Amino acid sequence: MSDPDERRRQFESIALPLMQGLYNTSLRLTADGDEAADIVQETFLRAYRTFDNFRPGTNARAWLFTILYSVFANRYHEAKRRPRMEAVEELEAPAGPESDIALVAAWGSRWNPEVERALRRLPEDFRTPLLLIDVEGLSYEEAAAVLGCAVGTVGSRLFRGRKLLYAMLQEYAHQAGYGKHSAPDP
Amino acid sequence: MTDNASHLGATLQDLLDERLDAARQTEVLTHLAGCPQCRSELEALRWVRDVALKQLPVEDVPPALAARVVAALDVTDKQTVRRGWRRRTMAAAVLAAAAVVLLLLVSPSSNGDTLPNAVARDFVAYRDGTLPLTLHTSDVAAVERFFVAGGAPFAMRVFDLGMMQYQLVGGRLHRLRGRPSALFVYSGPGDRNLVCQMYEGQLADLPRSDDVREHNGITFRVYRAGTVTLVFWQEGPVVCVLASDADAEAVIQLAYAKAVKV
Ligand SMILES: [Zn+2]
Repeated sequence: MSDPDERRRQFESIALPLMQGLYNTSLRLTADGDEAADIVQETFLRAYRTFDNFRPGTNARAWLFTILYSVFANRYHEAKRRPRMEAVEELEAPAGPESDIALVAAWGSRWNPEVERALRRLPEDFRTPLLLIDVEGLSYEEAAAVLGCAVGTVGSRLFRGRKLLYAMLQEYAHQAGYGKHSAPDP
Repeated sequence: MTDNASHLGATLQDLLDERLDAARQTEVLTHLAGCPQCRSELEALRWVRDVALKQLPVEDVPPALAARVVAALDVTDKQTVRRGWRRRTMAAAVLAAAAVVLLLLVSPSSNGDTLPNAVARDFVAYRDGTLPLTLHTSDVAAVERFFVAGGAPFAMRVFDLGMMQYQLVGGRLHRLRGRPSALFVYSGPGDRNLVCQMYEGQLADLPRSDDVREHNGITFRVYRAGTVTLVFWQEGPVVCVLASDADAEAVIQLAYAKAVKV
């Protein structure tokens, strides 16, 4: 008979430190603070109820993100509230020579509102691998487990996502007039 | 499908994320050395991964969410216990004597354990990383909101110890030998930890302490458990305790500074 207090303590040790990453991911999946919080709460509840199936020493992050994504997908995909898929061509990067890394990189550390905005515009299929791998630091394999798809699929979505994001940010930089006149004030 | 086909495309990402075997990597690097277009594409991917996405702000967990999660876990615990008790009651109908024994075994027994011991254990568990905080923030008001949202059954306040070089780390709705406790933690000079707990109770119920101090008309009971110093005092219906591995007198001075006569 396992001690319920001990079980609770074990669960908290494993799961609570991941709450911030789960919340941030949920926030960027839903773009809605209340929804994000509901999803995190349900994730913890489901995880706790099925904690006996979790084998200590296995990957808690992949386990919790899998639950989170499943809760999110159930709510958003079935309720057809899935954020509208923008025509990807519309977002596609203008190829090659116009890419101007110096222009984009020189804008330094003042990108974050634009990064956030561009992420929101990314179709969910491309946004999710970015969030899991580049923001939360999951491996390709972990992200594939979370999303229930092949590792190769995760890689190609990540590639598209990164390229689209770059294209959007470069576009913002051009719109902001940066590179045409002078550097933005420091 | 002429020029583009010979460029690296998605293979650039495999290089960036170190997913190529040595032979392929050599080929790719050779191509890169002679191809400005692929180099620029690689730099763009790297910039997105290492600069742009790393700028995203990390949003703090709202105190109300942390409290809701704890409450939801509590509800699940209660349901589990109730189901457990029902099963045991059925067993009692079958074999009363055995069931009584079972109930005795199951009910939490804390004989021989004292509150100061439990507080010291919590301190060590926190320091060793086995007692997780629910809410991580240095914002005093956020931790107070978290306790209120979590239904802490008594009025409590979280200390601002910034003046004393102690930075708030976060809090958890805790249980101290079965009673609800508001637990919050600070990090002090020299990476010393300070764990504070508040619970409903009476100072008089504590066992004999190693030391008793009086300051501004308030009584402080001081315990030592190894390198850990515990200082208890009463504020109305609430007992406050500080636990720390900092110098004992420093812990006592912190208590003096923050205790309020009620
Ligand atoms: Zn090339």
